[in-house]
Amino acid sequence: MTHPNNPQNPVTHVGKDNYMKRTQMMRHGRQIGLAAVALSLVATSAALAHSEGGGVALAVEGEAAFSLSPVYHILVAHFPVALWITAYLFILIRTFSDTKFAVQLQKAIWPVAALGTIAGFVTYGLGLTIYQWSAITESPLGRNHIMLATWTLSYWAVMSILGYRFRRHMFDGAQRWITFTLATIGAIVITITGTLGGSLTGTPSLVTKSLNWIGWNVYNTFYLPTWMLGVFFAGAALLVVIGIAGSKRGA
Amino acid sequence: MNKRTKYLAVSTALFSGLLVLGWVTQGTGVVKDDPERNIVIPEELTSELQVKASYDGEKIWFRYRWPVDRPSIFNDVLVYQDGAWEKRGGEALGPNPDFLTEDRVAMMIDDGSVPLFSRYGGYITIGDGLTTFTGTPETDEERTKYLPSTRTDPNDFDTVKPESDLETLRTAGQFIDLWQWRSSRSNPIGLADDGFVAEERGGDTGTGPYTTNWDKATKLPKYMFNPEVAGSTALEINAVIAGDVGFNDTYYLSAETAIPFDPNYAWENGDTIPRRYLRPTDGSRGDVVQPKKARWRNGFWDVTLERDMDTGNPLDDKIFRDGGNYDLAFSVFRNASTMRWHYVTLPVSLGLEQPAQLVAERVEPGTAPNWTQPWTEIKTFYPGQVTWGRLTDARQHPGADRIAARVPVAFRHSEEQLALYGVQMEFATEIKRQWILTLIASLSLIVGLGININMLMRRREDAI
Repeated sequence: MTHPNNPQNPVTHVGKDNYMKRTQMMRHGRQIGLAAVALSLVATSAALAHSEGGGVALAVEGEAAFSLSPVYHILVAHFPVALWITAYLFILIRTFSDTKFAVQLQKAIWPVAALGTIAGFVTYGLGLTIYQWSAITESPLGRNHIMLATWTLSYWAVMSILGYRFRRHMFDGAQRWITFTLATIGAIVITITGTLGGSLTGTPSLVTKSLNWIGWNVYNTFYLPTWMLGVFFAGAALLVVIGIAGSKRGA
Repeated sequence: MNKRTKYLAVSTALFSGLLVLGWVTQGTGVVKDDPERNIVIPEELTSELQVKASYDGEKIWFRYRWPVDRPSIFNDVLVYQDGAWEKRGGEALGPNPDFLTEDRVAMMIDDGSVPLFSRYGGYITIGDGLTTFTGTPETDEERTKYLPSTRTDPNDFDTVKPESDLETLRTAGQFIDLWQWRSSRSNPIGLADDGFVAEERGGDTGTGPYTTNWDKATKLPKYMFNPEVAGSTALEINAVIAGDVGFNDTYYLSAETAIPFDPNYAWENGDTIPRRYLRPTDGSRGDVVQPKKARWRNGFWDVTLERDMDTGNPLDDKIFRDGGNYDLAFSVFRNASTMRWHYVTLPVSLGLEQPAQLVAERVEPGTAPNWTQPWTEIKTFYPGQVTWGRLTDARQHPGADRIAARVPVAFRHSEEQLALYGVQMEFATEIKRQWILTLIASLSLIVGLGININMLMRRREDAI
């Protein structure tokens, strides 16, 4: 029987490793939490400083009992966008490079993406306080912005979880191309969400016009025909089935 | 590539493919004509109008030019069929397939007296429950556009203020001057129609350029064509519908072309007589005229209207003054459409030799305009069924607070955007439901992808 403190003891060694991992994770978690709080405080202060003068001149029929000025959302929105795009940039570099620098960047991918996701939730919440739900969902551009923002947030939440779970393995062999493809889709939805936000505030960009060239006028609500809804639900189920089948066969 | 990676690649391709398929098919399956709800969507949602203006200190002229593939020079007609005269054409949901609905151009004018007109144009005149709006029951009396200030509840058509209040508003200039040119009911005799929008859309005092060619008692037309002028007593409906009757034919009834109707004539099925009899205008309603009859050429109507700058009717007309600035809004009726199936413009500023979107050039007194100035190009669009009540309600319009802050519509919305919004407003319930389902379906796809990758992505040590 080996002594518990004996480093040769494999069971105790694994337990110590797990303990250290947990400690490290908690430290990371605290850091991310603190950063998110600091980020929110900075954003709120800045928004407060710039929110004057956007008031309403006359009484408005059906005005909401509570709403926040759009400046909060607009200001905070830059954080998740910047963080997710940074994560994408790191993924891009790591996909095409195995240098020490690229490997170092790779380690920052999931924390940056996760921080972006936390900031994304804050941004999303702030966005929902600007207009009444009944009003914003009457606006085609409003609907589209909500749709794309939901996609972006959920997509990058998934990417953050995957990044945390698989870390460097996301770039193992051919998997790097899967990671690259998924991240590129993520970058595209961020871009569209951002430009829709700009259009909503009256400043459409070239991206808005480009979307029209490739088949979607953003002033038309993005919705799927009923048969396509079925295809999407079936596709979601199929993805799960493929996942189960693939994990069993490839185990 | 191992098996799991192959599955991953297939999954990624499936996900990407579904996104592309979603992109290609989005926006389909909901928006379609629904006559039961008075919904007919025009094929073109936007078009163009060209305008010029001139004045000489006494008179002011506006020249309009807009594209029309096929001119419609008839409005409602009476067609003889098996012993009875039947009305055909006139009002229709969307384009009249027989081209029995006339083309038109209309211009609203304000001198700054009507609140918000300069910023929102005709939108302020669209109350709830107007004729042909979805859900509005058919009534004998047309529920026309009106100014919000003429109602105790601006969103309720039936809450018209007392007559004394309306007179006060009118005296204060709270009305919009409305000029109308009609290809069938005014153009053939070189006239137009002078009206207003206040508590209703109506004609100025006096006589308009047309009356109804129908005797309610006998249920017969009052007039028919004078065969000595027209060559026959009636037109033939198939020729009318086919567009074989044109400007060079006698196609309208007036003192010069008509004689009293003869019920004993040997009428044949398909004989067609215009349901309108054109006549000289009189009083304030006759203030707007044409220097000459308009013609359609090379795919465009080219119309000029003329009026005294000061008509002497300040309670009916907006008086133009040299050096003045005014606000206009236009509407164009094309492709044989009427009522709300028109193309409108956002408000346009007019300056009489003053900086504005449309600058009226001064010409020497007593001389006709030479029209050498460039056209002012104005975008027109199909407005749908967007009411002022909706636009000013924060529960229905995110920009209601911007309207309260008097931000002009043109600052936030383009004509194309407004046309698309107008159409989508007509299917608001259906599109919203489909949008929510799309949100749920796409979220399920993203979650499915997350589960998939979580199960299939491998760590290197997994393979050892």
